[in-house]
Amino acid sequence: MNTTERIDHARAALLTRYEALENKNDIVKAPELKELFGLIPTLQPDERASFGQAVNQLTQEFKDKAAGEKIVAEELPAIDVTAPFDVNSKSPVLLPSENGTVHPLMREIEIISDIFNRMGFVTEESREIDDQYHMFETLNFPKGHPARDDYDTFMTVETDKDGESLIAPAHTSTMQNRVLKKYIANLERDEPIAAIVPDRVFRNEDLDARHEHTFYQVEGVYVAKGVTVGMLIATLQKFLEEYYGKSLEVRVNPFYFPFTEPSFEFALSCPFCEAGCAVCSGSRWIELLGCGMIHPNVLRSANIDPNVYTGFAFGCGIDRLVMMKAGIEDVRHFESGKLDFLRQF
Amino acid sequence: MKISLNTIKQYIDFELPPVDELVERINQRLGSVEKVTDLSEKYKDAIIVKVVSCEKHPNADKLSVCTIDDGGKVGDIPRDEQGHIQVVCGAPNVHADMFAIWLPPRSTVPASFDDKEPFVLDARELRGVVSQGMLAAADELALGTDHTGIIEINPDEWKPSKLDITPGVSFAQIYGLDDVSIELENKMFTHRPDCFGQIGVAREIAGILEQKFTSPAWYIDTPQFSDASGLEFKVENNAGEKVPRFMAVAIKDVTIKPSPLWLQIELIRLGGKPINNIVDVTNYVMLLTAQPTHAYDYDKLRGHMLGTRFARDGEKTTLLNGKTYELTADDIVIVDGEGIVGLGGVMGGGNSEVSDTTKNIVLECANFDMYTVRKTSMRHGIFTDAVTRFSKGQSSLQQPHIISLLMQSTFDVAGGEQASGMFDIAIEHMPAEKVMATPTFIIERLGQRIKNEEIKRLLGNVEFSIDEHELTTTESFASQLDDIGEVKERQFSEVAMYIAAPFWRTDIELLEDVVEEVGRLYGFDRLPRVLPERSIEPAPKNARFEIKRRIRQSLSRAGANEVLTYSFVHEHTMKKAEQDITQAFSLSNALSPDLQYYRLSVLPSLLEKVHPNIKSGHDEFVLFEIGKGHNKKYHADDDEGLPGELEFVDAVYTSKKPHEGAAYFQIRKLLSTLAAELGFTLKYVPITEEMDYPVTAPFDQKRSALVESRSGEFIGMIGELKASVLQKFKMPAYSAAITLDLSGLEKASAEKTYAPLSRFPAVTQDISLKVSDHVQYEDVFSLVWLVVNEHKPGECDVQLMPLSIYQSADTTAYKTITLRLVIASYDKTLTDQDVTQVLDTVAAAAKEKFDAERL
Repeated sequence: MNTTERIDHARAALLTRYEALENKNDIVKAPELKELFGLIPTLQPDERASFGQAVNQLTQEFKDKAAGEKIVAEELPAIDVTAPFDVNSKSPVLLPSENGTVHPLMREIEIISDIFNRMGFVTEESREIDDQYHMFETLNFPKGHPARDDYDTFMTVETDKDGESLIAPAHTSTMQNRVLKKYIANLERDEPIAAIVPDRVFRNEDLDARHEHTFYQVEGVYVAKGVTVGMLIATLQKFLEEYYGKSLEVRVNPFYFPFTEPSFEFALSCPFCEAGCAVCSGSRWIELLGCGMIHPNVLRSANIDPNVYTGFAFGCGIDRLVMMKAGIEDVRHFESGKLDFLRQF
Repeated sequence: MKISLNTIKQYIDFELPPVDELVERINQRLGSVEKVTDLSEKYKDAIIVKVVSCEKHPNADKLSVCTIDDGGKVGDIPRDEQGHIQVVCGAPNVHADMFAIWLPPRSTVPASFDDKEPFVLDARELRGVVSQGMLAAADELALGTDHTGIIEINPDEWKPSKLDITPGVSFAQIYGLDDVSIELENKMFTHRPDCFGQIGVAREIAGILEQKFTSPAWYIDTPQFSDASGLEFKVENNAGEKVPRFMAVAIKDVTIKPSPLWLQIELIRLGGKPINNIVDVTNYVMLLTAQPTHAYDYDKLRGHMLGTRFARDGEKTTLLNGKTYELTADDIVIVDGEGIVGLGGVMGGGNSEVSDTTKNIVLECANFDMYTVRKTSMRHGIFTDAVTRFSKGQSSLQQPHIISLLMQSTFDVAGGEQASGMFDIAIEHMPAEKVMATPTFIIERLGQRIKNEEIKRLLGNVEFSIDEHELTTTESFASQLDDIGEVKERQFSEVAMYIAAPFWRTDIELLEDVVEEVGRLYGFDRLPRVLPERSIEPAPKNARFEIKRRIRQSLSRAGANEVLTYSFVHEHTMKKAEQDITQAFSLSNALSPDLQYYRLSVLPSLLEKVHPNIKSGHDEFVLFEIGKGHNKKYHADDDEGLPGELEFVDAVYTSKKPHEGAAYFQIRKLLSTLAAELGFTLKYVPITEEMDYPVTAPFDQKRSALVESRSGEFIGMIGELKASVLQKFKMPAYSAAITLDLSGLEKASAEKTYAPLSRFPAVTQDISLKVSDHVQYEDVFSLVWLVVNEHKPGECDVQLMPLSIYQSADTTAYKTITLRLVIASYDKTLTDQDVTQVLDTVAAAAKEKFDAERL
């Protein structure tokens, strides 16, 4: 057989196969095509190029055919949507209860929220589209501030009323100003402003086992008269002890955030081991969160007099808490929608 | 920021604690330590030796046979009668009487120290002559790449150690290579320009170890500049306040050569790279003080001038890195009489570079607006040591000190003399105002009683200056002793501290900044930890958060799995769901096309997750997600003027194997269960006119319904999906979905209602009504419910439930709906007859309304 005959022969066989196929795209995996490709190395070198081209053309021909296939929508008749079940059918039953699961991150947010609620904090939620005013300005990052670069913030093509790009919040601190304003009346009654904001945040990062562009953070804010650094540390320590159900050591390292002064990185003694383990990389300490005393400019932007009131704020990643607790090896599982993952929780 | 402990030690007058204690203290009171590298192991065996004799190798032209004097330092090695050691050397510059660096046998070549298999030297025969180890070139010592000859040490040249250069002395000790380098996280110093220099960090290390630091005199004393001439030179600033200070001076008759060894090694230890003496000095001064400086070849500056201005849009320049950039009117440029010679605060130009032939130079020391520098750097993607430092905001009071040091250091390493006046174009620079603090304020914020003396000492250690004055304050207070709570006044006095930050501390502006400084130097971990006191007022509940929790519980109890998917989607996902992508907000800077758009609704993301789960062996499941959607066209802005966010509760049911009846009823069962648990019942409204919204797009609308609560609250949509959508998502045909508005669910949710139990027995009777297939079940059920309630015998507990909907195989023109009535009176025992009467009335009404036949 010469090239043309071979191709024509294969085309006829492929057409028969194509008609029978349920998913027409599968035609490119047909044994006839594989066989043709397999022939190439056996040919004389001068024949290979033209034959290869012919096989490619044939493959493309069928690809196009499959792509051009009109989607044959199987027209189903209308049904009586007001009925509880179909004609001549029993009432459907629900899936077995034991199959059902709540997402581990959502469950953790509920646990965290419950503890803080018991400690007197109200739970607030965040946004998914926000403006730069709440992401930066109210948090004492003036325009052009170098610390803005530390937050790989997603920006939209669309702009706000000031002509600035909208943003996907890179921290739930975007809610600080709103929370302070919402509960400012508390201060007049000599009650603190105490709120947490557990919600979704976004960073424009490449994905790997330890980095997600979408993750969850819990922000905390506490403002009253006479709030000190010691209270910040004590509050977080109490929360963590309640969360892990054991007493823990904690420590702070100085850090820099524009919206707190002073700012800290907060670490706790590893709750999972006595002498070093994989979670704490053998160091016995886990760097957990950022925190600090709320910067006077942040209080001022919510019309709170920083000479009368002081407060603290903190922000903690939730994904990592769950990963450490359950030993999850890859942060990407959370948003994977894999039932094999979800049904373990 | 990389620091060298040996460099730090040059600026402090106390002993540092062991490295691990120091690192711990830095972590506690300065900032995060990222890496600690101990160099001392690497250079421990390198010894300075004197070459005693040097003869040509008998069998090789390019080799020399030398004897060296190591002062008897190395043991267990063959020596000649004078006690000297034989080494073969291939370097052309080896000669007798020179001081060189010897790597003895059994030592590791420093350049290979970090390799997997480090190179360990040996006694080795070279063309028949034994060489004990080797004399080292710069590259073998990991001090640059030079391999043209061995390093020759000039014993008379300045060196950091007080030890003399004698045979056998440790090379590392003389040149500070017995060092530990510590890398600190840069983020910590975003507001601390001074900490990007060794001296700044040295000061902090003193402060956190509670030791007094004294800056070198040249950094504190105001320099006196003398006038000079010899080279025609002038300077101008045309960039206004964006260049708050610009200083420059011309120097003539410099000699360009490699830097002295100590300077080369110092630079390498600090992470720099030696180039020539002039460039090295500018870099070294920056590494010490955090102030970037620059040197130009005077003779390459056209018009013998240096100036600043903003670039013109589209103006091009080639920088030192060899790349050409197209500038904008927001970039500051350094110019000579004809054009650009540098990008201000970022990088010098290629055309004015100091080279081997340079005779005369111009030294520049300037300050640039931090925001402008940062934007220029971002715009052109140029990240240099200068950018790192200028973008933190250097003090404009610093430049005179630095250019004075730079000029002096230039004379030291390259000779030359000042050949112009010192140009200093500056806008007025006032030292920062003093911050007035009372110890009470500091104590209240920190929650710790710290004595005035200690506050003064802690701040004084890092060169703050503090004046104290008595303050008298009058305070009103309610007398505790007086029953009527009479308000009294008392006077008390307190010391006020007027705190002046040194000029390099551009971060100290507020009282809170001083509090931080005191707390940090004192040690935050030492502060007493007390929980805030609060009243027992309960924290309010968040209704939205609670309803989500209930929905989650209900759906998971009904066998559904909660998933979370991204808020951003690829346009393909929306297109597969037949949504209009022009309604979606789009991201301008996403790294991946998978994150091109904000999703319009949650459902398409869920549909994407069906096929992979089917493939991994799950045959029947429900996925649900509570999440937000955004729409430019349909969502009105909210109260804040921001795009309205709609929160969805979406779910998809799918099964590889169909069950009895349409898939619609499977998910309807789930939805009805959810509503019941949230305390309300639903109304399913058929869609009579095709709708065209992103949420309705994937649904087959003739097999879908709109969902409302009985009280008329809009809840959402339920239905099967279009065959085309199923196909595009590769989903099983037996699938159905819901898309619900969370706020609707929240508004409709209610406490469950309770009907008292009747003491009398209930009567159960069924009624079957044959109606035309066009008659909707809901209409029949509603009529029956209405008539039963209108005609029931007195106060009753009424329950009405569907039993079956039958259609004969012969014709689809009719269907028979059978309902079961369970009724109990609160007052009496009902008879069958009571109920039959009611159902007869029902049948009559159904006959009239639907032409229904009772079977």
